[in-house]
Amino acid sequence: MALRQPNVLPGFGLTFGFTTFFLSALVLLPLCALVLMAASMQWHDFIHVVLSARALGSYRLSFGASFLAATINLVFGFIIAWTLVRYDFPGRKLIDALIDMPFALPTAVSGIALTTVFAQNGWIGQYLEPLGIKVAYTWIGVTVALTLIGMPFVVRSVQPALLEVQRDLEDAAETLGAGRFYVFRRIILPTVLPALLTGFTLAFARAVGEYGSVIFIAGNLPMKTEITPLLIVIHLEEFDYQGAAALGFVMLVISFVMLLTINLLQTWGRRRHVQAAR
Amino acid sequence: MSISLDQVTKRYQGVPVVNDVSLDIGDGEFFVLLGPSGSGKSTLLRAIAGLSGVDHGRIALHGRDVTHVAARGRGVGLVFQNYALFRHMTVAENIEFALRVRRVKAGDRQKRRQELLRLVALEGMDQRLPAQLSGGQQQRVAVARALAHKPEVLLLDEPFGALDAKIREELRRTIREVQRELGITTVLVTHDQEEAFALADRIGVMNLGRLLEIGRPHELYTRPATRFVATFLGAANLILAQQTKDGVRFGERPVSALVAAAPVHGTREHEVVAVVRPEEIEVAPKRESLSSGYLCKGAVDEIVFTGALERMRIRLNGGAEGLSLAYSNGDGTPYLEVTRTQHEQRAFEVIKGQTVAIGVRRVHVLPTPLSSFTVCAANEALAVALTQQPLLAELATRMKTRISMRVEPMLGVPGAECGDGPAFPGTTVIASQPDVAHQAEWLLKRGADEVLILPGNATPPQRVLIHWADEAVRSATLAVSASVLRHVSAEAVYIGIMPDMTPTAQRPHGVRALLDARSEAQAVHGLEMRTELRFGDVAHELTRQLGEAPGQMLILGVCQVGRLVEHFGTLLESARWPVLIVRREDER
Repeated sequence: MALRQPNVLPGFGLTFGFTTFFLSALVLLPLCALVLMAASMQWHDFIHVVLSARALGSYRLSFGASFLAATINLVFGFIIAWTLVRYDFPGRKLIDALIDMPFALPTAVSGIALTTVFAQNGWIGQYLEPLGIKVAYTWIGVTVALTLIGMPFVVRSVQPALLEVQRDLEDAAETLGAGRFYVFRRIILPTVLPALLTGFTLAFARAVGEYGSVIFIAGNLPMKTEITPLLIVIHLEEFDYQGAAALGFVMLVISFVMLLTINLLQTWGRRRHVQAAR
Repeated sequence: MSISLDQVTKRYQGVPVVNDVSLDIGDGEFFVLLGPSGSGKSTLLRAIAGLSGVDHGRIALHGRDVTHVAARGRGVGLVFQNYALFRHMTVAENIEFALRVRRVKAGDRQKRRQELLRLVALEGMDQRLPAQLSGGQQQRVAVARALAHKPEVLLLDEPFGALDAKIREELRRTIREVQRELGITTVLVTHDQEEAFALADRIGVMNLGRLLEIGRPHELYTRPATRFVATFLGAANLILAQQTKDGVRFGERPVSALVAAAPVHGTREHEVVAVVRPEEIEVAPKRESLSSGYLCKGAVDEIVFTGALERMRIRLNGGAEGLSLAYSNGDGTPYLEVTRTQHEQRAFEVIKGQTVAIGVRRVHVLPTPLSSFTVCAANEALAVALTQQPLLAELATRMKTRISMRVEPMLGVPGAECGDGPAFPGTTVIASQPDVAHQAEWLLKRGADEVLILPGNATPPQRVLIHWADEAVRSATLAVSASVLRHVSAEAVYIGIMPDMTPTAQRPHGVRALLDARSEAQAVHGLEMRTELRFGDVAHELTRQLGEAPGQMLILGVCQVGRLVEHFGTLLESARWPVLIVRREDER
């Protein structure tokens, strides 16, 4: 079929072949190995590893902090994107370039840097300490690290969408009597919502898998500040490959379910419009 | 009055994009703001809508001063060129937007929506998304949306710009019908003169931020007051003519009989610009077979068939018959644009290269001065250099005025006669140099009406100072000033100067002269200008004002030519600003 319908980009067969090959070699096969490794365990061993108190604590921290970090990024990433798109000020290009820094920095470096800043005697930590807020070596520190890691995803997804919101739309809404907040809520937000959700999803996915920057700032106390990826590494260091695979499998399932849910939400939102159009 | 603008000025980075616009639009009127892109028409519309503030002036809607009221409080409906529909909302949601903002009940909203959809002929489209509509339909939705909250004023910003010709016409008709049915005051912005003619009750033509002329379409077309309007509204041949006591002459040939009610300023003989529309020109094989007044002979240079009309370009047998155009075109040969109907084509078929006799059926003489520029210098090299002067070149381009050259070896030598006949038609231009005041006096004494003194580096001014030394030249100076200011985006300031020792009792006279000047400028020329009253020595005070900031120009009206050097010598010779001297004999 694809061959009979001439397309702007030719070679559907070839490109589809590459797509399947790369997805298989780089994504599907390793995941299968993971599942097989986990499946080779006895059922009660699996349950023992996966539902141990320490594992449960790490799930809560990993997914909770990631979700919180992605939510923070949703709000502030939007504001940053807005500032960069809508205003022209000296140093705008510089700030725009800074956004990508967390992409480029080795995660361990950002982890160490954050720890230095937020430790009890760090630049910021020393002022938070008297207020009773401890950042480094608590779940707050984990969230801070994950926020830093995820921020570029939201900004970069929202920027192009914001560029598309024409000034004319806001002007039109204003002449029709809408106040600024109303314009934001009814015109701007709905237009950029899909991009915002995409950014959120990417930031969340990245945060769940993050390892390097967190382990420096987390303190890694079992049950309290230990993230699941670290727990997996600990199992590996004890040569307990099966246990590591089991934990990995659980992360895989939870992540997949959450990402799928968000994607379905988006599709559903889009379909609602199409239905409204009928 | 539905919309009242009073001296509205909007600057962008210091340059006025809307310059002193005053305008009254009546209830239920369809007003079209017409101008080329960058003329400030859209900015003015946005200012009326409240989407951009103004730097100066007042805006009133239905008698209510809204200058400082935000867009949402003005009760206007605005339609954009690119529709600006909310793409994530259905047609129904788009139209109901203004009502939803105002918390109108769902039932009433729906009723209003049905009404509006019927009005724009889109019944049953309620649940479509904008992306599922054609451009024309989208713009109809935008119109309905802008009318939902029953605004007192409907503003349309190039609403047909993005549509193809057929849809455009259809939508144009719809908008005209809707406007009539609702009796809503409407302002439409466009650069398309055909659109303006088709829709407008009145048209206001804008250029360079100024509102040049206002009038009913037919009036503006047949009797424009300015070169810009004459050429922007349809095609026009601009021909230099001579205004005499008996009427208008083209070269040596009187065509007074043809002129439709040309306003004559005084009895002074001077150069004017005559507008001849392409369709008012007749061509015939011989002079005798013309049914209209004979103008000259010419060779057909180009024929273009455009359907209903045939367009021709006829090259004139130039100087011999003394006919010169008011603008310079590339190679210097004068051309006339002619259009003929099918009927005329059948009566006399013309082929390319054929020599024909040209007659004019109707001529309109522009009442504005500055008919042409003549560069005058002591030798040819200087004259050529002066024609390249940036301000002059810019002015001539903007005004579509021709620049001719004249070499006067004895320029400025007292008692010497001028070489090339006595008359100095139009505006004579000389370069700033040490004895320029003497040269100016020399020229004025020998019949020049206007002398422009240009420093080599002068550029289009930001501010034009206007002053006349005698009330007798007030009208002439104002007319010239208005002509200049239509073509530069500068602010105009009239400076009245009274001697230092003026007794207090005399001062009200000065203020009255100021007010008279301002009202004449506004009433006769549509020129808004600021006025300032100063005390002191005239030349000294003007020099001080001109020295305050760069980018200024002086327009100086004088009556007694003999004492120009004595009074204004240093002012003219400073070579830092352009000065345009306007001389008129006492016509009282």
